[in-house]
Amino acid sequence: MSRAFRLGDVASDGLLLRELSGKALVFLTAFAAASVVGFPFIWMVLCSVKMPAELYNAPPAFLPVDFTLRNYADLFIQTGFPRYFANSLIVAVGSTALSLLFGAVGGYALARFNFFGLAIFAALSLLCYMLPETLVIIPLYMLASYVGLQDTLVSLIAANTAFTLPFALWFMRAYFRSVPASFEESAMLDGCTRFEAFRRVTLPIALPGVASVGVFAFNNAWNEFLFALVLTSSERNKTLPLGLSTWIGQDSIYSWGMLLAGSTLLTLFSMAAYLLAQSGLMPGIGEGGTKG
Amino acid sequence: MAEPVTVYPGDRRFAYLALAPSVALVLMLIAVPTVAIFALAVQDVPLGRYSGDFVGLANFRRLFADADFYAALGNTFIWIGGSVGLEMLFGTGLALLLNQRFPLRWLARTILLAPYLLPTIVAVLVWRYMFDDIVGIVNHIAISAGLVARPIQWLTSPRVALLSVILIGVWKFTPFVVIAILGILQSIPGEQYDAAKLDGAGPVRRFVTITLPHILPVFVLTALLRTIWTAHKFDLIYLLTGGGPINATTTLPVLVYVRGFHDFDAGGASAIALVILLLIALLLVPYLLIHRWSEARQ
Repeated sequence: MSRAFRLGDVASDGLLLRELSGKALVFLTAFAAASVVGFPFIWMVLCSVKMPAELYNAPPAFLPVDFTLRNYADLFIQTGFPRYFANSLIVAVGSTALSLLFGAVGGYALARFNFFGLAIFAALSLLCYMLPETLVIIPLYMLASYVGLQDTLVSLIAANTAFTLPFALWFMRAYFRSVPASFEESAMLDGCTRFEAFRRVTLPIALPGVASVGVFAFNNAWNEFLFALVLTSSERNKTLPLGLSTWIGQDSIYSWGMLLAGSTLLTLFSMAAYLLAQSGLMPGIGEGGTKG
Repeated sequence: MAEPVTVYPGDRRFAYLALAPSVALVLMLIAVPTVAIFALAVQDVPLGRYSGDFVGLANFRRLFADADFYAALGNTFIWIGGSVGLEMLFGTGLALLLNQRFPLRWLARTILLAPYLLPTIVAVLVWRYMFDDIVGIVNHIAISAGLVARPIQWLTSPRVALLSVILIGVWKFTPFVVIAILGILQSIPGEQYDAAKLDGAGPVRRFVTITLPHILPVFVLTALLRTIWTAHKFDLIYLLTGGGPINATTTLPVLVYVRGFHDFDAGGASAIALVILLLIALLLVPYLLIHRWSEARQ
């Protein structure tokens, strides 16, 4: 404002013009970037409703020549998509529930107490958070076959929970520390046990943080591929990433149509899940960093 | 401890009980297996057996004489350097862009962050179809625009495949950088810019003297985190190319899988896993130091 007074009216018009053209440039750059980044989604949806044979046309037409839902029908009839989906859901819900349960009580203990060994375990689990799955995949495979859990969804739930727990413990610890201990102490003076005080007083206050750990855990397990590849083998135990990947390159039966239909459905599911999580529970997507 | 906590009788038992399942899972499925690869790496043990003959450092001697290993090591550095470099460049640029006010910003933001929220398998399927030599739309656009004369074998030519995998990874993971940088940009008090404007500082001066110092710790930490996670990456590469053609996209994690589950050489695979562990350890030292430094600064 003061600058406009000093420079006079003519100059301020020039500045306004420059500011406007700067805005236009920002707008155009942003939407040019968004078109490039967003194009694969549009192409995926468009191709998922083309006739299977049309997907193998070179050069491809942009819009479908004939609209069809045949790829979606094929996906459900020819591949085990419903089974893959159910398996992924079982693994993701199972390991999310366990991560939340163990992570919440464990994170609370780490937040409040300093007994022997707790700090060491906290440091150890922070270190474990930085370790890649490929590092331990050979011993894990051996362990699973040793205890007879090979080719079961239980082994996937256990492995995913273990690899989510370090993150869950550290974030829960931070969330519980932000709740004053005096709240639960007054509850305990009124006769609550430590666990009751935790469950009735501290947990409800820290709930948004707990929910964002849940989103992280679900996303991790839902996406997980290496454990599924190594620990499961039969068709009936395949999760979505593994199940769909076995159909890549099966060109004799025009598999691209089905695969793009599957991708579209998965995209819709993910979007719905995120909207649900964001509207109800979570302050911001990606808060605290999601392991990728 | 953030504040003194009154310890009641029974709290010790509660704490240990509460942590027992976490300790059991983390020890059994991460810590002990990590120690186990040290033992496996000095044995000649085929996959499917639990132990083998002690061979000392033979697995490492074999590894250091193996051309595949050096190819994988080189690919790992190109994969990490290319991916993280481009992600930081595009991520910071897009964050600065999204930090401006413009119409329909929410829409641009949603689209630009979307790839990160989708399962990896979706990215793999869509890009494999788009990058197909013959029916793929990318070659079609490139040829009609006159950029290339003949179709490029994006994922099947040894010279291009690693670059294509990097580009797909950048598409998928740049949003993480955008989210991190945008978060810190929005925490810069607007008054600082107003004061600088009054003092006659232009946009470049304001960027260098206010924005840059403010985002630097987060920028460095994000780059290091991305480096560690990019070094870990297995699924995206394996699903896009399987490590091929020949060894063109085989990084160290992919090589661990191939040695272990294609060649059934658990000892040899564990030796590679130890090299990865060393690499991660070397990356963790600067991460922890910078983390401490940036926390001290705040």
